[in-house]
Amino acid sequence: MANTIQPPLPDGKWKPRIVAFFCNWCTYTAADLAGVSRMKHAANVRIIRLMCSGRVDPQFIIAALTKGADAVLIGGCHPNDCHYSEGNYKCLRRNQMLKRMLADMGIEPERVRLEWISAAEGEKVKRVINELVETISRLGPLGIPQKFEEWDREMSELTRQMSKQQEAVDGGETPVAVKTEVIHV
Amino acid sequence: MIAPFEPAVVDKATTLETLLETPAGKRMMTCIQCGTCAGTCPYGEHMDFSPRLVINMLRGGFIDEVIKSDSLLRCVSCYACMAKCPRGIRLTDVLLPMVKEQVLVTQSAMPAEFQKSLENMHRYGNPMGESPRKRAAWTATAGTKIPLIAEVNREVDVLWFVDSYMSFYARGQDNGRATARLFNALGVDFAILGNEEKSAGECGQVTWESGLFESLAEYNVKLFNKYKFQRLVTGDAHAYNAFHFRYPMYGLTQPAEHTAQFFARHLDQLKPRLTRPLNLTVTYHDACCLGRAVGSYDEPRALLQAIPGVKLVEMVHNRVNSLCCGGGGGGMWLDTYYKQKGMERLSERRVKEAIATGADVLAVSCPYEISRFEDALKVIPHDKPIVVRDVAELLADSLAS
Amino acid sequence: MKPIVPKKHEPIRIGFYICHCGTNIAGMVDVEAVAKYIGTLPNVAVSRHYKYMCSDPGQELIQQDIRETHLNRIVVAACSPQLHEHTFRMATAAGGLNPYHFQMVNVREHDSWVHTDRVEATRKAMALARAAVMRVPHHKPLEVKKVAINPNVLIVGGGIGGIHAALTLANAGKMVYLVEKEPTIGGHMAKFDKTFPTLDCAMCVLSPKMAAVGSHPNIHLWTYSEVAKVDGYVGNFKVSVRRKERYILEDLCTGCQECVNACVFKEPKFQDEFNLGLGKRKPIYLPFPQAIPPVTLIDPEVCLNFKRGRNPDGSHTVSDKCKKTCVEACGDRKAIDFKQQEEIKEITVGTIIMATGFQIFDAKRTPYYGYGIYPNVYNALEIERLINASGPTEGELVMRNGQSPKKVAIVHCVGSRDENTNRWCSRVCCLYSLKLAHLIKEHTEAEVYNFYIDMRTPGKSMEEFYNRVAEEGMHLIRGRVADVYPDPNDGTTGRLVVQAEDTLTNKILKIPVDMVVLSVGLEPHPEAENLRRMFNLSCSSEGWFLERHPKLAPVNTFTDGIFLAGCCQGPKDIPDTVAQAGAAAAEALALIDKGHIEQEPNTAYILAEECSGCKSCIPLCPYTAIAFDETKKKAIINEALCKGCGTCVASCPSGSIVQNLFEDAEIFSEIDGVLAD
Ligand SMILES: Cc1cc2nc3c(=O)[nH]c(=O)nc-3n(C[C@H](O)[C@H](O)[C@H](O)COP(=O)(O)OP(=O)(O)OC[C@H]3O[C@@H](n4cnc5c(N)ncnc54)[C@H](O)[C@@H]3O)c2cc1C
Ligand code: SF4
Ligand code: SF4
Ligand code: FES
Repeated sequence: MANTIQPPLPDGKWKPRIVAFFCNWCTYTAADLAGVSRMKHAANVRIIRLMCSGRVDPQFIIAALTKGADAVLIGGCHPNDCHYSEGNYKCLRRNQMLKRMLADMGIEPERVRLEWISAAEGEKVKRVINELVETISRLGPLGIPQKFEEWDREMSELTRQMSKQQEAVDGGETPVAVKTEVIHV
Repeated sequence: MIAPFEPAVVDKATTLETLLETPAGKRMMTCIQCGTCAGTCPYGEHMDFSPRLVINMLRGGFIDEVIKSDSLLRCVSCYACMAKCPRGIRLTDVLLPMVKEQVLVTQSAMPAEFQKSLENMHRYGNPMGESPRKRAAWTATAGTKIPLIAEVNREVDVLWFVDSYMSFYARGQDNGRATARLFNALGVDFAILGNEEKSAGECGQVTWESGLFESLAEYNVKLFNKYKFQRLVTGDAHAYNAFHFRYPMYGLTQPAEHTAQFFARHLDQLKPRLTRPLNLTVTYHDACCLGRAVGSYDEPRALLQAIPGVKLVEMVHNRVNSLCCGGGGGGMWLDTYYKQKGMERLSERRVKEAIATGADVLAVSCPYEISRFEDALKVIPHDKPIVVRDVAELLADSLAS
Repeated sequence: MKPIVPKKHEPIRIGFYICHCGTNIAGMVDVEAVAKYIGTLPNVAVSRHYKYMCSDPGQELIQQDIRETHLNRIVVAACSPQLHEHTFRMATAAGGLNPYHFQMVNVREHDSWVHTDRVEATRKAMALARAAVMRVPHHKPLEVKKVAINPNVLIVGGGIGGIHAALTLANAGKMVYLVEKEPTIGGHMAKFDKTFPTLDCAMCVLSPKMAAVGSHPNIHLWTYSEVAKVDGYVGNFKVSVRRKERYILEDLCTGCQECVNACVFKEPKFQDEFNLGLGKRKPIYLPFPQAIPPVTLIDPEVCLNFKRGRNPDGSHTVSDKCKKTCVEACGDRKAIDFKQQEEIKEITVGTIIMATGFQIFDAKRTPYYGYGIYPNVYNALEIERLINASGPTEGELVMRNGQSPKKVAIVHCVGSRDENTNRWCSRVCCLYSLKLAHLIKEHTEAEVYNFYIDMRTPGKSMEEFYNRVAEEGMHLIRGRVADVYPDPNDGTTGRLVVQAEDTLTNKILKIPVDMVVLSVGLEPHPEAENLRRMFNLSCSSEGWFLERHPKLAPVNTFTDGIFLAGCCQGPKDIPDTVAQAGAAAAEALALIDKGHIEQEPNTAYILAEECSGCKSCIPLCPYTAIAFDETKKKAIINEALCKGCGTCVASCPSGSIVQNLFEDAEIFSEIDGVLAD
C-alpha cells in the first residue's frame, strides 16, 4: 500500500523521521502535557499510542526501521511506576536484547532510544525529542528501504549475470532461479 | 541549601545589549523585584541603583542612567545577592560586572588607588607593582625546596598557583610557607610557575575590566598549556573563582581546586599528622568566592575541627549568610574611596562579629582577608586579643615539627 | 439502534474528519489540505474538515455521513484521545456503528500546539491521519466490558478535606473507611485559631464535623493507622490498613481522661506534638481536648511501663516497672492494654479518595531567617497555636522568654516562589499572614510589619479582607526580607533586626523587632512519594498528586476510581479544599451509583490453534491472568483478570496472542502509515 501514496509535501531536504511508541499512562500523557503547556519541539516524531511499553514488540521497532524510520523512541513510566506494575521492566529487558541484534546489523545504538517519562514530565518529552532529532540529524539517514532496493538491484544483477554464465556453460538450458531471501517483518 | 552555580551561562562575547537574549538574560526577565538582592547587599543602603533596580532599568531600556551613576562602584562582588535571589539570577558574575565596566568607561576620574592597581596588574602582572622577576623570591625562605615546573621537566600532580598576595605580601608568604609544608607532609608531587606566573585577574573580570582579565587569562592559559599537570591548586580564593568559572572558557582543561578543598579531600592522610594541639577558640570567615560562589562551607570547617584543641565557634553571619570582607570586586583598592563617601569599611563590620564570638583566632581562606582583617582589628577596640590566620597556617602549626 | 456489523467482504468505507478547534489546530495545520489529501487515500469515502468536531453539529455530521454514505469506519483528527475519544466513539455508535470502528488522531497536543512550522505541522498531521486511516480497516467490533463496583469507599487522610468527603458519602448511605495517620482527625485546620477571610473560629466550625465523623454509623474511623498495601482495580481495590498500637482499647475508652490525671507523672513534661513542641504532655494523653476519637494513647518511648527503645521490629517491650495508676483510674472500664499489638485490617473498596494534605516548609532551609537559631523566630503554624485559646499559652501571645512582643515582623513567602527552595506560590500565605497580623494586633497591640513580595488575595471576599486588615494600621512593606540577625545594640532581650529593601521607596530598612513570624509555604506531604507508588498515582514535578486534567478533571487521577481532595493535589485554602472534597465524593458516588464500571475491551486472548504451549507468557502477566490447560497443552487468558497491558502479546514467540484494540495488524499498519510519505 505504501507505494500507492505520493509523498504529500516533498521539499527535497532530508529530515529525520522518527517513530515513537508511548505508553498510554505516562509518556503519552506527558506528550499531551507538553502540548497543553505549548512546549515547542521538533516535528519529526510520530507517536503511536500503546497501553504499556511492555506491548512494544521488537518487531515493531524492526518494522519501523525497515519501513524508513531513521530512529525509534520508546517511552514508558519510570521504574516501579508502570501502570501494570512491570511492563516497563519487560520492555527494558527486550530492548537490551534488541540493541545487541541491531549492533550486529550495523545499526547505531543511538537509533533506538528508550526513555522513562512520567505523566508530569512534559518538559522531558520536549528535551528527549529535541535531543534525539539532533543526534539523528548528525548520524544521517538510516535508509534501510533504499538499501533494500539496492540489494534487490544487486541481486537481480547477480541473477542475470549468473544465468548468463549458466547459459554459456549449459548452452541454452533454462537457468535455475537464484532464490533471494526476502526478510518479512 | 543554595544550589552551586553552574559555570558559564553566557559566553564571553555577551554585552549589555545582547544580554537579555542569553539564557542568563532570560532569567533576568523573571525578576520579581522582591529586593532581596538590595536588602542583603552589604552596601545596599549606599546605592542609588540597587541590583534590583539595575535589572528593572535594563529591562525598561534605561540602563544608561545607571551607567551615569557610580552606584555600582560599591559592589564588592560578594555573591550575597545572587545566592539569595529567589529567581537564581546571575547578578554578581554576569549582570553587575557588565554594568560596572560601562560605568568605568564613562567615569571621568577613577579612584586613584584603584586605577594604579589595575595599571600595575597590566604592566607587572601583579596589583602591587612589584617586579615580576621577584615573584618567586619568597621560596628562598620557605625552608624547603619549592620546585619550579619549568625545571622539573615532567608531568606533576599538582600545579600550585601561588598568585600575587602570597608571592609578595609578607603575611601572604606565611600562608605560602605553610602550604608548602602541608604539601610536603602529604607527599604531594607539586610545582609552581615561579616568575612566569601572572595574577589570575579575577578582579579584572568580576569588577571592571574584561579586557585586562582576558589578557591575563589568555597569558596564564598559554602558560598552563606549556606544562603538564593533573590539577591546578591555589590558596587564593579569587584565583580559584576565576579558574572555576571563567578560565574553562579560555581553554583551561584541568580541574581547579582551592587548597582548603584539596586538603579536606586528603583529610584522612592529613589528620594523623596533626598532632600538636593548638588549644584555641577559632571562628571561621567564609570567603565569598569559596563559600557562596561554590558552596564550600564544610571543607574549611572540617579542616579546623581536625586540629587537636581547636574549638570552632560561629559568627552571627556565616555560611550562605556570611558578611563580605569588602575586598572583592576591586574593593581591595577602594577603601579610601569608600571612606570619602562615608561608608563603613566592611572588614570592620566583620571583625566586630568575630570579636563578639570571643574567639582567639579569626580563620580565613583567602589572602585578601588577612591584611583586611588585621587592619580592621587595629581600629576596632577589643579587650581579648584576636589574631587572623589562614586555615593553612593553623594546619601547618599543628603538624609535628 | 442495532449496530451495523460490516458483512464479510463488504468494502471498507472510511469517514475522515479533521477539526479546526477554532484556531487551535487550524492555526498551525492546514486542515483543508489534510482533508483533501486523506480524501485521495484508498478506502476513504468521505473526508471533511470542520470547525468544532466535538460540538453537537460536529458529532451530528459523523452520524449523518454514516447514515447517508454508508460509512463503516470513522477517523477523527482533533485533540488528545484522553479528552474526546469517548465522545467520538459515542457519536460513532449513535450513527449505528460499533463504537470501536473508530480511531482518533491527536493533531492538537501532539502537533499544532508544539510545532512552529506550518508546513512541517501539516505534514505530520497527514502522516498521523494516514496511519489511522490505514489502521482502522483492521478494527473489529468489540463490546464494552462491565465490571460490578464495590460500593465502599476508602478515604486516606482526615483533614478537613477527608472529613468533608467522608460525611458527604456517609450521608448518602455509602460505607466509608477513613484512615488517618495521626491519633486524631482534624489535620491542619484543627490547629488554627481563626480562619480567613471571615475570621470565624476554626474549631467552632470544624469540631461538629469531626464529632459527626466519630459517631456516624456509616463511617469506620481508623486513626493512628496507615495504608500498608493496595491491590486491585477500580471497583475492587483490596486494601490492607495497619492500625498502630495506641495501648488503649478504643471501644472501651470513654474519653474521660481520668487516666491522664492519675498518671505517675504529676506534671506534663514531654514535647506535645499537636502544639508543635510549644507545650507539654504526659506519657498518656489526648492530643487536644476536642480530639476525635476522644480516645487517649500512650507514648511507649516515655511511659515508665515500657523498656526504653524499640525492638528491631519496631515494637516496644513492657517492663511492668510502673505503678500503673492510670490502670487503676480506668478501673472497670479496662480500656488500657499495655500488650496491645499492631493490627492489619483487610478491606475491599470500590473507590478511593486521597486527602493527605500538605506539610509546612521547614524554615531551616532558608538559614538566613534564623529559624531554629534565634528563639524569637517562629513559623506561622506555631503562632496559630500560640494565639489559640486552647493552645499551650491559652491564647496569650508570649514568646519563649515569657514576654509579650511589642513589635512583630511577618515575613511572607518563606519557602515559596524561590528557586532555592520551592518554586510555587503557596497561595494561602499572604492571606494567613494578614490574618495573623490582625490577630497578633488584637492579642498584644503590637506594631506589626508585613514584608511581602506581591500581595496575593484571589478568591471571594479576600481582597475585602485585605482592605479591612490594612485599615487596622499594619505596616505593609513591599520587599522580601533578606536577613534576620540579633540586634547589635541589644544585650540580652533577644531582639532581632529584620533587614529588607522597601522596593517602593528604594530604602534599605533595618527594623528592630521582638518577634519574627515566618509565613512558611505549603509543600507535599513527605509520604506523598510513598503513597504515589502504593496507589499507582502520578505526581507533578513538585511532588503534588497529579490530577487527570488540570481543568476538566481536577479531582480525577490517572488511576480510575482514585480521586483527590484538598492540599495533596496542590496548595489551596479551606473553601477550595471543601469544594474539591465534595467534588471527589460526587465522582465516587457517580461510579458507585452506576453499579458497574465500563472497561476498555483491550484485553488479550490466545489463538488456541497457534499456541505452541511454550508457557513463556505465563510468568509475564502481572495479574496472573494466564493459566495453562494441561490437557490441551495450551495457555488460556482469563478475560476478567486481564488488564490489557499487552506485555504477553509482545513476547509470544509464536505470535498467537492477540490484544483487542492493539492487534499486531493494527499497529503494523499504523507504522506503515506514519512512514508512508
Ligand atoms: C499557617 C497556616 C494557616 C492557614 N490558615 C488558613 C485560613 O485561615 N483559612 C483557610 O481557608 N486556609 C488556611 N490555611 C490552609 C489550610 O490549612 C488548608 O487549606 C487545609 O488544611 C487543607 O486541608 P486538607 O485536608 O487538604 O489537608 P490537611 O489539613 O493537611 O490534612 C491532611 C490529613 O491527612 C493526614 N495524612 C497525611 N498523610 C497520611 C497518610 N499517609 N495516611 C493517613 N493519613 C495521612 C494528616 O495527618 C492530616 O490529618 C492555612 C495554612 C497554614 C499553613
Ligand atoms: S533578588 Fe533576584 S528576583 Fe529579587 S529583585 Fe533581586 S534580582 Fe530580582
Ligand atoms: S555582589 Fe555583593 S556587593 Fe555586589 S551587589 Fe551583590 S550583594 Fe551587593
Ligand atoms: S507565596 Fe504567595 S501567598 Fe505565599
